[in-house]
Amino acid sequence: MSIKKYIGILSGFSVGVAIVIAGCSKGFLDKPAEGALTSGQINNKDGLTALLNGAYAVLDGQGQNNTAIGGGNPWEASPSNWIYGSVAGGDSHKGSSISDQPPIVPIANAQEIPANGFFNNKWRALYEGVTRCNNVLKNIAISPTVSAADKKEFASEAKFLRGHYYFELRKFFKMVPWIDENTTDYRQPNNADIFPNIEKDFQAAVDSLPATQASVGKANKWAALCYLGKVYLYEKKYAQAKAAFDQVIPSAYGGPGSGGTTSNGLSYGLTDMFEDNFNAATKNSKESVFAIQMTANDGTNSIANANGGDMLNFPYNSPFRCCGFFQPAIDLANSYRTDPNGLPYVTDYNSHPVKNDQGLKTSDPFTPDAGNLDPRLDWTVGRRGIPVHDWGNHPGNNWIRDQGSAGPYSNKKNLYWQATMGTYSDQSSWAPGSAINYCIIRFADVLLMAAEAEAQLGNFAQAETYVNDVRARAAKPANILYKYIDDSHPMAGFSATPAANYVIGAYPAGYFTGSTALPAIYFERKLELACEGHRFFDLARWGVAAQTMNAYYQYERQFTGDLSTGNFTSGKNEYFPIPQQQIDLSNGTLKQNTGY
Amino acid sequence: MPFKTTAPLRVGLFVCLLFCSLHLFAQKKITGRVISSADKQPVIGATVQVRNGKAAVQTGGDGVFTIDAGDNSTLVISSIGFNKIEIPVAGRASLGDITMTTTNTQLNDVVVTGYAVQRKKDLTGAVSIVDLADARKQPVPDVVNMLQGQASGVSVVSSGQPGQAPLIRIRGFNSFGNNTPLYVVDGVPTQNVSDLNTNDIASMQILKDAGASSIYGARASNGVIIITTKRGSGKVKVTYDGYYGTQVPQGGNVNHILSPTEGGQLLYKAQQNNNTLQVGNPSNQVPLGNAIYGTGPTPVLPDWLVNGNYNGVTYTGGFKDGDPAADPARYFADPTGANYYQIARANKGGTDWYHEIFKHAPIQQHNISVAGGTDQGSYLFSLNYFNQQGTLINTYLKRYTIRANTSYKLGNRIRIGENIAYSSIENPQANNGILVEGSAVGFAMRENPIIPVYDIQGNFAGSSPKGLNNPRNPVSIQKTTANDRGIAGRLFGNVYGEVDLLKGLTFRTSFGGESYNGWNHFYHTPDFYDAEPQYTSPSYTEQSYNGFNWTWTNTASYNWIKGDHNLKVVGGMEAYKFANHNLGGTTLGSFSNDPNAVNLSTGTGTTTNYSNSNGIINFNPNSPNYQAPVGAGESLVSYFARADYVYKEKYLLGATFRRDGSSKFITNRWGNFYAVSAGWRISQEDFMRDLTWISDLKIRGSYGIMGNQFNALGTNSYTLYGSNKQTTYYDINGTGNALAYGLAASQIGNPNAKWEQDGNTNIGFDLTILQGKLSISADWYNKSIKDLLYQLTLPGTQGAAIVPAYNVSKMKNTGIDVMVNGQTDITRDLKFTGSLTFTTINNKITQVNANGTPYFDVDSRRFNGSYIVRNEVGHPVSAFYGYKVIGFWNSQADIDAANQAAAKASNGRVTTYQADAGVGRFRYADGNHQGWINDSSKSFLGNPSPKFTYGFNLGLNYKNFDFTVFFYGVYGNDIWNNVKWWTDFYASFPGAASSKTALYNSWTFDNHNAKAPIQDAVNGSNASTNTVPNSYFVEKGSYLRAKNITLGYTFNNVHAGKASISKIRAYLQAANLFTVTKYTGVDPEIGVNTMNGQNGATDFGVDEGSYANPRQYLLGLQIQF
Repeated sequence: MSIKKYIGILSGFSVGVAIVIAGCSKGFLDKPAEGALTSGQINNKDGLTALLNGAYAVLDGQGQNNTAIGGGNPWEASPSNWIYGSVAGGDSHKGSSISDQPPIVPIANAQEIPANGFFNNKWRALYEGVTRCNNVLKNIAISPTVSAADKKEFASEAKFLRGHYYFELRKFFKMVPWIDENTTDYRQPNNADIFPNIEKDFQAAVDSLPATQASVGKANKWAALCYLGKVYLYEKKYAQAKAAFDQVIPSAYGGPGSGGTTSNGLSYGLTDMFEDNFNAATKNSKESVFAIQMTANDGTNSIANANGGDMLNFPYNSPFRCCGFFQPAIDLANSYRTDPNGLPYVTDYNSHPVKNDQGLKTSDPFTPDAGNLDPRLDWTVGRRGIPVHDWGNHPGNNWIRDQGSAGPYSNKKNLYWQATMGTYSDQSSWAPGSAINYCIIRFADVLLMAAEAEAQLGNFAQAETYVNDVRARAAKPANILYKYIDDSHPMAGFSATPAANYVIGAYPAGYFTGSTALPAIYFERKLELACEGHRFFDLARWGVAAQTMNAYYQYERQFTGDLSTGNFTSGKNEYFPIPQQQIDLSNGTLKQNTGY
Repeated sequence: MPFKTTAPLRVGLFVCLLFCSLHLFAQKKITGRVISSADKQPVIGATVQVRNGKAAVQTGGDGVFTIDAGDNSTLVISSIGFNKIEIPVAGRASLGDITMTTTNTQLNDVVVTGYAVQRKKDLTGAVSIVDLADARKQPVPDVVNMLQGQASGVSVVSSGQPGQAPLIRIRGFNSFGNNTPLYVVDGVPTQNVSDLNTNDIASMQILKDAGASSIYGARASNGVIIITTKRGSGKVKVTYDGYYGTQVPQGGNVNHILSPTEGGQLLYKAQQNNNTLQVGNPSNQVPLGNAIYGTGPTPVLPDWLVNGNYNGVTYTGGFKDGDPAADPARYFADPTGANYYQIARANKGGTDWYHEIFKHAPIQQHNISVAGGTDQGSYLFSLNYFNQQGTLINTYLKRYTIRANTSYKLGNRIRIGENIAYSSIENPQANNGILVEGSAVGFAMRENPIIPVYDIQGNFAGSSPKGLNNPRNPVSIQKTTANDRGIAGRLFGNVYGEVDLLKGLTFRTSFGGESYNGWNHFYHTPDFYDAEPQYTSPSYTEQSYNGFNWTWTNTASYNWIKGDHNLKVVGGMEAYKFANHNLGGTTLGSFSNDPNAVNLSTGTGTTTNYSNSNGIINFNPNSPNYQAPVGAGESLVSYFARADYVYKEKYLLGATFRRDGSSKFITNRWGNFYAVSAGWRISQEDFMRDLTWISDLKIRGSYGIMGNQFNALGTNSYTLYGSNKQTTYYDINGTGNALAYGLAASQIGNPNAKWEQDGNTNIGFDLTILQGKLSISADWYNKSIKDLLYQLTLPGTQGAAIVPAYNVSKMKNTGIDVMVNGQTDITRDLKFTGSLTFTTINNKITQVNANGTPYFDVDSRRFNGSYIVRNEVGHPVSAFYGYKVIGFWNSQADIDAANQAAAKASNGRVTTYQADAGVGRFRYADGNHQGWINDSSKSFLGNPSPKFTYGFNLGLNYKNFDFTVFFYGVYGNDIWNNVKWWTDFYASFPGAASSKTALYNSWTFDNHNAKAPIQDAVNGSNASTNTVPNSYFVEKGSYLRAKNITLGYTFNNVHAGKASISKIRAYLQAANLFTVTKYTGVDPEIGVNTMNGQNGATDFGVDEGSYANPRQYLLGLQIQF
């Protein structure tokens, strides 16, 4: 071999080694992340806007591709709290067959244990909300180019949302750790009541948010005030609660001032049609104080933004396909019985039961109840022989997965209409989604909360005014459900014949007294807000949960098999257990609630 | 460049020569010729010594030697590859031809180890050399399957699904994540050898201990498998190798499903049980029957299954002949499923769903290779076609692989070459995965057999009629995805150059890696015939990806031999880079259901798309993490060195060192890994010489540290924000259908992550006895892994962003690997070979997180919120955990007594001994003797890892016949048979299929000695039956399987016309012929489910409908021209 070749080889070798060594310099081992942003890229107005949208986005608790944001199934973190508020509060059954989603069974029976993964996934979803709000606040602090006014707006919206997430945590779990934008150790103890912090967040929002917003989905000053009033009510600070509600209730509803408006500038009020609150076509109405904006067919080919958390809650074997969960209780349906004056049987409604088709097959003959009924029944409860929107008369058993387990009824408030399903429903998943907003607070709720505060303060006449406001809306003709023109062509429209004998009236002047006011208000909340996820939390804060729920178990158990173990322990079951998984992860800083 | 001898060395040589010359007296010259027993050719370079003397000579090119020796002395002749022999001189001057027999041990085989080649006898590390002849006998498509039972220390679990990567573990579990070994193919590291043509493999070594594998440093922790592909030599050789066969799924009623008639009986039984239990409670009595079986006193089979809406009235359930509901004129099927009236004839005989989807299927492979070589170069070309149709319909693996390996010499000092293979693969797998609930296999055990496959119009029938619950038609799942297609291509290989710079000093550079790409699409049509349709509109998803990685290795090796000293030193550096790109989209809706008409552009619905670089891609669109938009490229830089020193062919020392830097780490970027090893060939010592039955005995030991970084993502160090339309976008403007951009924290960074460290001790021996008739290798090892990277679950208060891996866990593995090889000629014509591998597995988690919970739970399935598997300190990975069933509650009195005892034990605090205790339900063990049952009463119920695995090959050759059998077995493992959750509990999913156990062997008021608990139509699902993990589901998983039985016949030198064929071998083969097991499921070989993305490390051994390994019968042909 010639010297030249040697030189060639050796120089090739040297060059090779040199390249490798050069390649081994720092740059070769630095691989940036792709498809993501770092904090330095988002510390500007657009970045903060997007972070804040992200903080709103997790109001629905949903992750991607049919999961909850913190893990688990979509329904485990549903913002409607249909499991934790309605099923646990006895206005509904879990539904479906008893073996479907069995972790809900102990929740329905007040037999929940800390290891139940549902609580863990709800907890995680809510703290993801807190985290996103904190990230807005953290990045505000390091965003030099953003104006002070913008910072104030971003911060106050973030605090409103954080107040909401913490309020949910507080009402679920009572003692929860407070994590804010300054926290660095995420293993904080849960040894202090966080209501003062929640008040502070909402007060900051009240102080800084504008009265109206360019984007209707954003919280405004009035929503913050309503929420603050709700917080005070939970704290039994009735005077402060009244003060807040007095500012937001327009004079038309008996409020002392001019009242508040929605983010899009509509003066607060009740829509004529009760059902407008559960219809995507009429969302963001004057009644919508603060709502989670849901979308259908939003380009994701998923129902993650379309009430994914309520995907199970449609009649079974029906045009909605799945899954027969969330069946209103027999006890609830009975509550809508009215007396000749159109007033409810507040204490003995179960002595005036509404006739149902429990135990009957669809092919067995059945005639619906002929007695007096509150018209809200048929916008809340799907029952045999009564039109279900424009889908046809409810066939009874055929749409029920297992009557023996969960009774004869179906939920109605989350149903979309056949005529507009192309726009407002989303069929991209194995169960449907819809663009129906979930109202965290709607104005009827505000009126009833105000009524409660007034009654607690002894202002019975004012309380009665508010309750009658709510009943007056229900009594409007628009809320009468009519039979179809042609039962076999439900989309052809409704006849002039009411589907049932609707009779509803206002409480006569002076009816509310020290002994009647609160029961009537409580009952009105049950009727008006049924199946909206409030019931359990109301019962718990009223201190009547044990007696109410145990009576409910006693009654309902006669008809269905899913409540056989129901037994509510006072002083324990008013709050859910701190998730065992979180206690385990906290290195002992989290302490379990009493009784668990 | 010649070395100059140094002065002391020269003096030493002189002294030695002088010393030797003293013995020249009283000796005479003795000559002889050494020949080989095999070919009668001279043995060149054999060492001839006088026993107990110092003189030694070597035979020349003609095999002849001349040595000075006394008349009464004995000559000892040894040579590599031959058995040592001793010949007495007995006064002769010429000893004539001396025949040496070849050793059958592979002691002198050259073994490729890390960046070096070594003779097997010089190895100090634990290296399993795979006998490719045995391993290749099975009709398996890939390398990993070949290893099952063929190499000690390796465990392989495979399924019957074509193309599904088998689970491979070398010496147990090394992490909670990636446990796949590093494959080094022709010097190129990779973790994927699924497309490697097994016919192309020349040799395969498994490096098991630190001594052998630490040279691979950062990637060695899971073990290293060195694969070298073939190269040509000699004159042109053309070889054909092929087989064709059929695969037979397991027959019979594999899931023990009830017939439709029995199904009705079970329904009535479950209802009657409820009514008996609720006898004092009239409102909780249920009427007998349902929409399918009628409402009479006994179940009646329907003639028709109907579901639909007619004139505003719903008809759903079973109907008798003549019922207008079953009038075929009403039949209507809108393909979108929005409106339909479906009528199907009830299958009273029962549909065998399992065998509607599992069918006989062909398998074939054809391989042609052309190889040859000269002094100046060599070449090998091969073409392989493999086509395995799955026994599950519409699953298959079709693969083409081509390879070109060439090498050339440029002068005497330079060698260059390349090894490159390209493969093209089509591999549709079971829709929705296997071993999980949503698969066709899972639905085959759930779909009620009364449902026919098709309705009266030939559309799929299903569970939509009321009373049949909600399983999906398994045939439709597999058939509607028949048009799911995909193709993957991969180029893998390297080019290299070697130059001998100086005597003994060689520089080598190799650049290699892979470039891969693929595309696939999925098409689903609406399934309105199922009770809970998954698709309301056609759904089309298309994805493509491409990526590459390369490794550039530069090494310099120096080999120094001087007298008794042999030193090999290798030093080098390596750089690695990886990147990939993914793109895909989904559209819902199409004008027609014809899959050929649809693509992302022509779908009528909204199209979503995604792309990412280096993001995780999971091609199952039903998996939650299939679109991970964030990623980071990966790179590694490494420097390494090794030294192997042999003194007198009996004292062996080895040392390796490697320093790796990884892009995944920032503050602790670099890691150092080392190993030391030593061996002593004790048989070479004088005191062993008389033990002539011992041919070779070596004891070995090693200690070292290996590393791992697979378990950190490329983005592990970074704190990131990301956007996602489903989770961070929000309709802030209340449009109802348009989302505004949103952001959220997407990844929590851990810049302080560092390398995992796997401290590894190995002690072993290699023994060859009886002139090589029997050889035994055995090793004991202890692996202690610390700083294990694990994605800790963080407290919920930290949010839902992706958690990085932290170095928090520890794990330990100990075990014994044994390999025994034997061979003997029973008669001249009858030859026997046998081998045995034995591998024990003993894995223990020693730390999960120093500052947190000492366990984590995984795999909840239908036990929502409680988990089947607990990974806890002191226990093996993936251990089953739950309540232990110790019998039944046979009476209310038993329950009352237990409750009273619980109240007493708890001072009245606990009034319920066991949640949901009821007559006929399970009674659980009070694991911690507290007096009642709650979460803390749970205990470990089983371990899916076997105590040991074993394999044995037995071969007999008689003249031209060859016969081999290969058995493989595992012992001591448990299986979580979750199939029983669906079939043995009527209440799990009432109306779906149930098992014989549920009807005939469940607790009743007359039969307390049952297997399953009481079947209760109303309250049958509860914490005392099926809603919590309990030991009812745990079964013994030991099995022994006849993996392979082959009978072959060889024709030598066949002349047909002008063609001359040197060898033809034809064989008949049966694979998986029989299995001995007590496991009641379809197949005890349970791998990891394909959905959870955990690599099976923390969660395996759970059977929820497996893709069983089929029986295979093959006819094969090997032709060598």
